[in-house]
Amino acid sequence: MSAVADSRKKVLDAIRRATGPATAGSAERNSVSTAGKGAEVHLDVASDYVRQGKMTASARQERFVERLREYDAEVVECEPEGLAAAIAAQLAASGRRRFVAPPGIPAEWYVDAAWKIEGFECTLDHGLTTEEIEQAEGVVTACFCGVADSGTIVLHHGPAEGRRVITLLPDWHLCVVHRSQVVETLPEYFDRCANRDQRSENRDQGAEALPKLVTWISGPSATADIEMTRIKGVHGPRFLNVILVRD
Amino acid sequence: MSAAADRVVNHPILDPALAPPFPVAALPVLRNPQLRKNVAHAIDVIQAKRARLVEEKTDWQELRTAAAAIKDETLQNLGAYLEQFEERCTAAGGHVHWAADAAEARRIILELLREEKADEVIKIKTMTSAEIQLNPFLEAAGVRAYETDLAEIILQLGNGEPSHIVVPALHVNRAQVREIFARTMGIENLSDDPKALTAAARNYLRQKFLDVPTAISGANFLVAETGGVTIVESEGNGRMCLTLPRTMITLAGIEKVVPRFADLEVMLQLLARSATGERMNPYTSLWTGVVPGDGPQNFHVVLLDNGRSSILGRKTERQTLRCIRCAACMNTCPVYRQTGGHAYGSVYPGPIGAILTPQLEQLRHAQSLPFASSLCGACYEVCPVKINIPEILIDLRARVTDQERHTLGKFFDPMYVGLRVANVIFSRAWLFHFAQWAGRIGAKLVTRRDGWIHSLPSVGGKWTQTRDLRGLPKQTFHEWFKDRERGNEGTREQESEGAR
Repeated sequence: MSAVADSRKKVLDAIRRATGPATAGSAERNSVSTAGKGAEVHLDVASDYVRQGKMTASARQERFVERLREYDAEVVECEPEGLAAAIAAQLAASGRRRFVAPPGIPAEWYVDAAWKIEGFECTLDHGLTTEEIEQAEGVVTACFCGVADSGTIVLHHGPAEGRRVITLLPDWHLCVVHRSQVVETLPEYFDRCANRDQRSENRDQGAEALPKLVTWISGPSATADIEMTRIKGVHGPRFLNVILVRD
Repeated sequence: MSAAADRVVNHPILDPALAPPFPVAALPVLRNPQLRKNVAHAIDVIQAKRARLVEEKTDWQELRTAAAAIKDETLQNLGAYLEQFEERCTAAGGHVHWAADAAEARRIILELLREEKADEVIKIKTMTSAEIQLNPFLEAAGVRAYETDLAEIILQLGNGEPSHIVVPALHVNRAQVREIFARTMGIENLSDDPKALTAAARNYLRQKFLDVPTAISGANFLVAETGGVTIVESEGNGRMCLTLPRTMITLAGIEKVVPRFADLEVMLQLLARSATGERMNPYTSLWTGVVPGDGPQNFHVVLLDNGRSSILGRKTERQTLRCIRCAACMNTCPVYRQTGGHAYGSVYPGPIGAILTPQLEQLRHAQSLPFASSLCGACYEVCPVKINIPEILIDLRARVTDQERHTLGKFFDPMYVGLRVANVIFSRAWLFHFAQWAGRIGAKLVTRRDGWIHSLPSVGGKWTQTRDLRGLPKQTFHEWFKDRERGNEGTREQESEGAR
């Protein structure tokens, strides 16, 4: 055990010898960061890069759809009141029968909805085993955010987005994105995470409010490891379908 | 030669302590047209995609500047950020271990595996584990490691070595992959269509993902602010490994930390574009310690120094540690394009390898690598974190030379003898003039009638091996200038005309 503690000291001592005593400019930041309050440590980093996009809302949606399609995702749009029907249509068109969904998806997505009736088997994930999830052919989830610039869907794995495993094993992923969730740039997504902090009770502990789990999904799983030929679908879902809700 | 060449091509040595010097290791590759074709093809494809997507990004230069600044800030306060990461990761239920060198990291990982009674482990592609030669070590200790990245499977099953840090099997073509898979997976009638080959890999691994309860990964970023770990990947094998097993062990170099969660907004915009020419790679995962009910419930991070802190202490070289392992430098490098990755004798090839490997080895090995460059600067231009690789190459060349010329074996080396003599001559004007006079007489002996020197004796032969040298003019500049002041302008021109 002492060998382990020695290594820690050895590595940190070597680092401190190399970085030297804090220089005048960074002394303040150093002392703050040593105190472990990382959120306040930052930084005179130049941030001249684009934070806020300049697109109109409709151009932003268009860009989002276009970029998703470029990465072989399928996208349909629908009105809020037509969502349950749109989900049903997607499930029917998928040619699959057995689905899973997170326990927190909104009731109006499926209570009395067509796809409940049409003989699809949909299990809510109240602690399903890996084997049970592996049996499912598809999964339906919500998301935290969509990023137009890169055609990315972000999951924070909340109650409506589900545990990570349910969007991983099934071969077909249907994700519902509301227009209001779509931002133009990646920094805008990070701003949304930060805004959440300000609304939350413990504002002084920003790190606590940041997401513990995030999966950024940009198109279905893919590889280009053989002669740089892009092949869709390796281990993750081979199909990514998106319903964009006009709200 | 050809038998030796075959050996090197088939079993390249990627241990810097054992690998031959770069010019020797490069020869067999240069004589293997198939290998060169595979490498050139792969690089052309990546380069074309990357160029298009970087062009599209209007704030590319600003992002590079910001990324370099974030990394510099991190490195300046590395100790504090690592401690912060440790504190937050531990608070979130993870366990943090520190390893001063490769042997320690291997031992820590094996102990963790023993605690789990693991005899199998699934792995997400990690160059850091290749750096510490983890797989052979685990194999010897009775733990079977399964690589899960497609390229890594190709190499593992085909007994090959990585030649690139992002697409490690880019030197292997589809016919070769087909042969490896058909033989090792026992599939007859396997086609060489990449689609079929990918499907074969999926089937081969599916049950492993579901059954093996322990996984090993590297890390792309560690977030000090939250204690989170980020992995950037394409295939979903990463998500499998970090979601399904009971126990997860992450091996990360100490330089992988970034201060804040929001710093990822810069890094993630740069990494995929720069590495594979995608706006964003299919899957990026971030997890923080242990999350009840979701993913591994037993999580360890091993922080690896292994020479990194020694790089940190040098002003010019410190920027080496900004590297986010995108491989853009090797994709653009005219030397890498010709030699591929194996010639570098390290798991880190290309320009970044040429500066990183000798430094990680603290210049005890891999001294030939800083010279494996034309210093054209293309690597610096594409680097998303603005590492001035040519500057570091030159600095390392000086250090290697300084180290070498003081060793006993090099005392009588013709180059160093020559340089010592030159040092004496160049510091005394009369000696210099005498040497010029003597040199012109000597040069006459080797200058042919056409005014050119076609071959020089001794070490000079290395220069004339591939090029001719113009003969010396009859007058030195000094002599010509003196003549000119005496009013004999034009003598030199006439004479040199005559010499031609």
